[in-house]
Amino acid sequence: KLTVMTTLRAFTCDDLFKFNNINLDPLTETYGIPFYLQYLAHWPEYFIVAEAPGGELMGYIMGKAEGSVAREEWHGHVTALSVAPEFRRLGLAAKLMEMLEEISERKGGFFVDLFVRVSNQVAVNMYKQLGYSVYRTVIEYYSASNGEPDEDAYDMRKALSRDTEKKSIIPLPHPVRPEDIE
Amino acid sequence: MAARGHVQDPNDRRLRPIYDYLDNGNNKMAIQQADKLLKKHKDLHCAKVLKAIGLQRTGKQDEAFTLAQEVAVLEPTDDNSLQALTILYREMHRPELVTKLYEAAVRKVPTSEEYHSHLFMAYARVGEYKKMQQAGMALYKIVPKNPYYFWSVMSLVMQSISAQDEKLSQTMFLPLAERMVEKMVKEEKIEAEAEVQLYFMILERLGKYVEALEVVQGPLGEKLTSELQSRENKCMMMYRRLERWAECNALSCKLLLKNPDDWQFYLLYFDSLFHLIDQSWTPPQEGAHSAEGEVHASTAQALSFMEDRIATEEAKESKHLRGPYLARLELIRRLRERSCPEAQQLGEPLELMFQFFVKFGDKPCCITDLKIFLDLLTPDQHVQFINRLMEAVPLCAPGEDGVALPGDTRALQRHLCVTQLSRSLGQQHALNTEGKLGLIKELKAHYQHGLQFGKSCLKTELQFSDMYCLMAAHVYVDLWLETGESNMLWQCLGLLEEGLSNSSSNAQFKLLLLLLYCRLGAFEPVVDLYSSLDAKHVQHDTIGYLLTRYAESLGQFAAASQSCNFSLRFFHSNQKDTSEYIIQAYKYGAFEKIPEFIGFRNRLNHSLHFAQVRTERMLLDLFLEADISSPLEESVKSMSLCPEEDDIPWDSLRDNRDLTVLVSWDPKDRQLNEEHRQRSLEEDTLWLRLRSLTLRLIGCVSALSHPPASRNSEKTTENGVAAKPSSLQSLLSQLENTLNQATQFSEKQLQVRTVTDRLALSSGCCQCQLSSLQLPLHLQELEATGLGSLLHTSLYMLEKCKGDLLEVKDSHSMTQHFLLENLVYFVETVCIVLWVSNYCGSVLRPLKSSLQKKKKKKKEARNVDQSFSSLQSLLNQALEHIKSQELSLTALELGALSLEAEATFTKTAMDKVQSSYLRSLQEIGELLKKRADTLKSLKI
Repeated sequence: KLTVMTTLRAFTCDDLFKFNNINLDPLTETYGIPFYLQYLAHWPEYFIVAEAPGGELMGYIMGKAEGSVAREEWHGHVTALSVAPEFRRLGLAAKLMEMLEEISERKGGFFVDLFVRVSNQVAVNMYKQLGYSVYRTVIEYYSASNGEPDEDAYDMRKALSRDTEKKSIIPLPHPVRPEDIE
Repeated sequence: MAARGHVQDPNDRRLRPIYDYLDNGNNKMAIQQADKLLKKHKDLHCAKVLKAIGLQRTGKQDEAFTLAQEVAVLEPTDDNSLQALTILYREMHRPELVTKLYEAAVRKVPTSEEYHSHLFMAYARVGEYKKMQQAGMALYKIVPKNPYYFWSVMSLVMQSISAQDEKLSQTMFLPLAERMVEKMVKEEKIEAEAEVQLYFMILERLGKYVEALEVVQGPLGEKLTSELQSRENKCMMMYRRLERWAECNALSCKLLLKNPDDWQFYLLYFDSLFHLIDQSWTPPQEGAHSAEGEVHASTAQALSFMEDRIATEEAKESKHLRGPYLARLELIRRLRERSCPEAQQLGEPLELMFQFFVKFGDKPCCITDLKIFLDLLTPDQHVQFINRLMEAVPLCAPGEDGVALPGDTRALQRHLCVTQLSRSLGQQHALNTEGKLGLIKELKAHYQHGLQFGKSCLKTELQFSDMYCLMAAHVYVDLWLETGESNMLWQCLGLLEEGLSNSSSNAQFKLLLLLLYCRLGAFEPVVDLYSSLDAKHVQHDTIGYLLTRYAESLGQFAAASQSCNFSLRFFHSNQKDTSEYIIQAYKYGAFEKIPEFIGFRNRLNHSLHFAQVRTERMLLDLFLEADISSPLEESVKSMSLCPEEDDIPWDSLRDNRDLTVLVSWDPKDRQLNEEHRQRSLEEDTLWLRLRSLTLRLIGCVSALSHPPASRNSEKTTENGVAAKPSSLQSLLSQLENTLNQATQFSEKQLQVRTVTDRLALSSGCCQCQLSSLQLPLHLQELEATGLGSLLHTSLYMLEKCKGDLLEVKDSHSMTQHFLLENLVYFVETVCIVLWVSNYCGSVLRPLKSSLQKKKKKKKEARNVDQSFSSLQSLLNQALEHIKSQELSLTALELGALSLEAEATFTKTAMDKVQSSYLRSLQEIGELLKKRADTLKSLKI
């Protein structure tokens, strides 16, 4: 159902020198080196890049597995997902999400979750189409730098097969503050 | 900060306030509190270390170190002291001291798992692989946990990677590592996926691909589950290494049936197919074709495989995959390369690409897809191809201006794609000036018209028609380069400014604007553009060059300082940051990442841009400060510049610049290729060599007048005096050689026109800087006459700076921005001349007063006197020139230009350039004025 056409492979340090066409997007954060290295050291399988036949990087996903198994909170988390403008509308983001979900399934996660700016309607709608729903709103999760007000985030979730009753995605009735999330 | 133990120790309670002060950055209070505590409890060693941390953080490094050593010699074994010392040593950038600390601790408490583990990590931080191997085994003996054993194995692999001797690595380290793993395999003790990964990695490095394959396919391979398709990918890698093309082919076939869109497997499928054909491979008499199943070993089979893939796509109602269609084109290319007549059976590329366009033309990536297959068309097909595609674009009937426009965003995207392809085929470049202007008009019409589709776009989104605007700008640049008419550049800047006002997140607009403003010598607008790109961290290396290349040479010293600082801060944090994650990779068993992280650290440490900003930052500091706010030797000392030391790794410089960050649809022969990249690297390296030698020579001049006392004790006594004339002489001849090379290089370049040429070479500044730096040598023989001829050259250089930066002629505004760059290099040269003169003066001054000296010497002294007066008048001339430029720039009324009504954005661009020139002139003028003031105090 997708039209990706690409090479999907593990993200490596050298890709950090080539990802400008993806990261110069205003909604894509370029993190400090430690942040990327932490993910590469701890969850290398969750950091996947898509490469076009001409060698350009098309997009990448970066994620991790975390949470307590005993409390049924063990889950996959999407930390970053971004696709370069010229490679949008191909279903690449969906493909990368599908891969992250598959890895999380294998690890026995109960659900996959992610945070998204409330204002980022394009992304919110895409995640809804992929089966995600808003679990809770996190107040002022994104701090603004240029004097604008801080922005709320949606914590969106999708249950995996281990959560047979889909308990993990029952929406919370009230919004929470960033310090209350784990 | 540090973990403070689980059991509540009374000392913990006493220390807590100090920890809190340190955590809150209140170092003074932390020191006071520690002193108070130490009065009562003399033996509370940790308090001393915490005090040392406070001292270190307030800049009292020496005191901090002494205090820390008092504790370290006692070889502490309490957690608090050990952890505090570890933090302190890390902040002091002395990680090797942490190893000493824990070596002592494990000696005293030999059974401590914790201390042994800290020791291992301490070795890892400094890359002591052999000791890591031993520490890992020691740990395993105390606590037989698998990870410890495999830390030791990985340390052997690291010894093999870092060994200079390839033989040693292949015959000793790796086999030893292999045996260690085999032992665990035999004892059935393998537990984790990471351990299998490591085993595979060792076998692969040993070239034991058959064994590696067996591991992946055997029971151990079942542990490889984290990564998707991990086993398949590893098998494929081994098949290729082993040239088992049959398996390679069969496996890619299988994977393509599963995912007909994965490009890498098409390439492997074709590669293996042709190898098999060349080997005349035939299937075995009975049984399976290969371990991976059915093999395709003839063109006919490949053709039918491709046709099946396409038929499957065609049978779908919607959501067609692009992979099979593009793979068909790839197969045609490969068959043609081998002159296989079967290529025709797959169809005519023009027709196939047309069909592809019909299916996928409304996707923004269609241009990227088709671009790589354009060379399948013959030149005489180009026009036909574009016409054919254009017919498939639904456009409305042409309006008044004769331009037919698309009715929705899909049609727009299709039309845009054809336009991009047309540019890629060189059709736009082939147009004459009139044709190009017509094209620009058409592109602008499409751009303006397309804006209506994006009215509801958020400001973080791009406009649908942005690319028309960018392409029109590219055509303007073509025209500007062809005709040299600055009007084209103004129009281009105006158009991009307009584009940016409609689409404030468009990075491509910003990047092109940034580059063009720099080419015009206007750095001021660049600062805002770059900061709105929000470039951070690694981007300071990959695109930071756009900023640091121009800031100083365009006379915006404050901005230059700042941009160098951004980059330097990033590079300096790299060393510490990466070590931390190498350790994490051990902890999490991500063994294959360890060499990768080390390679990454080296790539950043050896970055060309790092060396450039390091050198430029120091030069800039000297030009701006030395002998103004503090004496030259103070400045040299504070940046610990040592003329004998060359800290640039010339042989392993890495070019990390992202030169393809700007989008281009230029035809292949105009695109940036490996040769351009190489030439640009060569040029930048030559320039860096010039600058670094100049810097070191300035250091020499400073050391000549003030031979360093025993301050840097070890270094100076070992090497003798810091800057003997001999090192001066050697650096000078290196500078002279490099200058010759650079001149030859730039002469060669004149025929090919480069992007980054530096004017300092052509204006003669470098030569002049060289001759001024030669003066101290001549002075050894009391030949100060050199100063006179130097002044003559400087005067000539100043002449090259004269002229109007910006003027209005025939209602066009023209720039002579190269004058600005010349002026900056002139000022740099003046700085150097002054430092050298200062030194000459200091040598000759005592001679003048001494009447007994020979006549000749007195004459020389008099010569110097005269030279100083001439120097003074040179500076005055330069200052007058700058003043008059400032006045005429301020008076220049750009509003008087008869610009068309729509050209308000062009006016904006002009205003920005005007304001930037003015600011540069002010900064240059201020610096020169300060220099003139110091000259007054210089006179004998």
